[in-house]
Amino acid sequence: MELLCLGLNHRTAPVEVRERFAVSTPQLGAAASDLATLADATEGVVISTCNRTEFYLAASDAQQALILLEARLTLRESLDAGAASHFYRKVKSEAAVHLCRVVSGLDSMMLGETEIFGQVKQAYQAALAAGTTGSVLNRLFQRAFGVGKKVRTETSIQEGSTSVGNVAVDLAEKIFGHLKDSEVMILGAGEMSRITAQSLVSRGARSIFVSNRSFDRAEALARDMGGQAVRFDEWQQALERVDVVISSTGAPHALIHRADVEKVRRARKFRPLFFIDIAVPRDIHPDVAEIEEVYLYDIDALEQLASEARIRRQLQIEHCERIIDAELAKLNLPGT
Amino acid sequence: MDRWFLLIATLLAAIGGTWGMISVHRGTRSHWTVAWMVAVMFCQFGFLSVRGQLRTACPLHDLGEMLVFLAWSLTLFYLLIGPAYRISLLGVFSAPLVFVLQSGALISGLFTVSPQRDPSPNLFHSLHSATSVLAYGALALAGVAGIMFLVLDRQLKVHRLKSGLFRNLPPAHQLLVSLERLLWLGSGLLTLGIVAGFLMPPTTPLHSHLIVAMAVWVGYAALLAVKTLRGLTGRKLALAAVAMFILSLVVFARV
Repeated sequence: MELLCLGLNHRTAPVEVRERFAVSTPQLGAAASDLATLADATEGVVISTCNRTEFYLAASDAQQALILLEARLTLRESLDAGAASHFYRKVKSEAAVHLCRVVSGLDSMMLGETEIFGQVKQAYQAALAAGTTGSVLNRLFQRAFGVGKKVRTETSIQEGSTSVGNVAVDLAEKIFGHLKDSEVMILGAGEMSRITAQSLVSRGARSIFVSNRSFDRAEALARDMGGQAVRFDEWQQALERVDVVISSTGAPHALIHRADVEKVRRARKFRPLFFIDIAVPRDIHPDVAEIEEVYLYDIDALEQLASEARIRRQLQIEHCERIIDAELAKLNLPGT
Repeated sequence: MDRWFLLIATLLAAIGGTWGMISVHRGTRSHWTVAWMVAVMFCQFGFLSVRGQLRTACPLHDLGEMLVFLAWSLTLFYLLIGPAYRISLLGVFSAPLVFVLQSGALISGLFTVSPQRDPSPNLFHSLHSATSVLAYGALALAGVAGIMFLVLDRQLKVHRLKSGLFRNLPPAHQLLVSLERLLWLGSGLLTLGIVAGFLMPPTTPLHSHLIVAMAVWVGYAALLAVKTLRGLTGRKLALAAVAMFILSLVVFARV
C-alpha cells in the first residue's frame, strides 16, 4: 500500500476554488467513504477547514490513484483543466511529513495556530467511524497527533499572540486574570474595536458598554454584542466602572485626556484600568499612561507585539521540522 | 541533628530557587517549585521539632530560632496560598528569602548550639512568640507578592513583555488579591500575638518589643484601612507591603 495526499489550501487556491471542495463537518465521514470507493484505494480520510481541503488515501499505486482522484474531483466540480494547478500532490513519506506539518500548525495561514489540531482529529474520527481507515492511515494519523503534541510542547511555535486583537486580550488577562469580573467599554463603533471586544467577551468579559457619536450605531453594536449603549457625552460616567476601554473613534484629536481619568480615580478606588487605543490619530493622550494604575497600549505597541510573536514563531519552523523528521524516522510507517 | 535539618533545608531552598529561576529564564513553568518547598518545609519542621524538644517549649528563644521559624512560616503560607492560586512563581521568589533567612541563622551562629530547657514555660509566652513570627511569615510573603507585582507592573507599563519572567508571572489582579489577603492574615496573627503578649507574666513594665509590635500593627492596620475605605493603587500597596516588612524587621532586630 502507498500513501498519498491530494489537497489545496489558502496558498494554492483562491477562496472561490476552495469553497467548491469544502466539506461540512457532518459530511466528513460520508466524504471519506466516497473517497475509499476510488479504484485502487482501500482507506481514506478527508480534512476540510476554511483554509484547506485535503484527501488522504492508501492505495496500491499512489500515482494511479492521484490521477483517478483528480479526475473525479475535476469532473464533479465541473472545473476546467487549469484547475489542476491549484492542487498539490504528496506521496509516501512526503504525505506523512505534510500531515505532520499541518497538524503542528506549520502549514496554517496563522503559523502555529492550534485549532487545526482539533479539526484534523475530528476529520480522522469521522473517517474512523465511517470505517474508512485501516492499518496505514490509523498509524499515520496517530503518529501525526503525537508529533503535533511534541512540536507544541517542545517549541514555542504557539507562543505569543499574532494578531492585534489577541495581543490586547492576552494583556487584559495578564492584568485582570479571569475576565469574568471585567467590564469593557468601546468608544467608537468601528470594526476593529468590535473584533477586539468580541475576543474579550469570548474569554468571559462580564459586560460591554458601547459609546459612539451616532447613538444609533452604538445601539446596533451593543445589541449585536449583548451590551449596553451609552450616549457619547456620558462615556466619562461609564469610565468609573469599566476595567478595559477600547477606543477607535475617527476623532482628529485626542478624546481622553489625563484629567478625564484623574477625575474618576477616586470613584474607581484606584483599580487598574487598561486602555486599548486602536485609533489613528490616537484617541487617548499619551499622558494618560503616566497615571499609576493605567496601562495604555496604542495600535503601534500592539502591532509591534504581534509582529514580534510572528517573528518568534517563524524562527521556530526549523526546530519544528527537525522534530517532525526525527519522529518520522523513528518508525517505519506503512505506505511511506 | 537540628543543624543538619537546617543545613539541608537551606540547601533545598537554594536549589529550589535556582531551579525555579532557570525555568523562568527559559520561559517555562517551574512545576517542581511546590515539591522543593514541601521538602524545605519538612526539614524546617525537623529543625523546629528537635529544638522544641530540647527546650521543652516553643523554639523561639534566640534570634537563630526566630529566623528559622520565620522562614518556616513563609514557606507554610506559600504552600497554603501558592498552589491554590496557581502562583508557583511565588515560591521561586520566596525561596531566595528563605535561603537568606536560614543562612543568616546558620552562618553567623545566631542560634545557641546547646539550647537550655526553658525553666518556666508559659503558654502565653509561647503563643505570643509563635503567632508573632507566623504573622511575620504572612507579612513577608505579602512583601514577596508585592515585589512580584512591582516587576509585572513595570513590565506592563513600559511594554517589555518578551521575557520568560513576564510570561510566568501571574496576573496583576491575582497578585494584588493574594497580597491583600496575606496582609489581613498577617495583621490578624499579629493582633493575636500582641494580645498574648499582654497576657504574659509581667517581667518589665512593658516589653520594648511589644511597643514596636504595636507600632507595626498600627502601620499595617492603617494600610489596610486606607486600602479598604479609600482605595490604593496596586503599586502603592505593593511598595507599602515591601517597605513596611523591611522596616519592621529592621526595627525588631534593633530592640
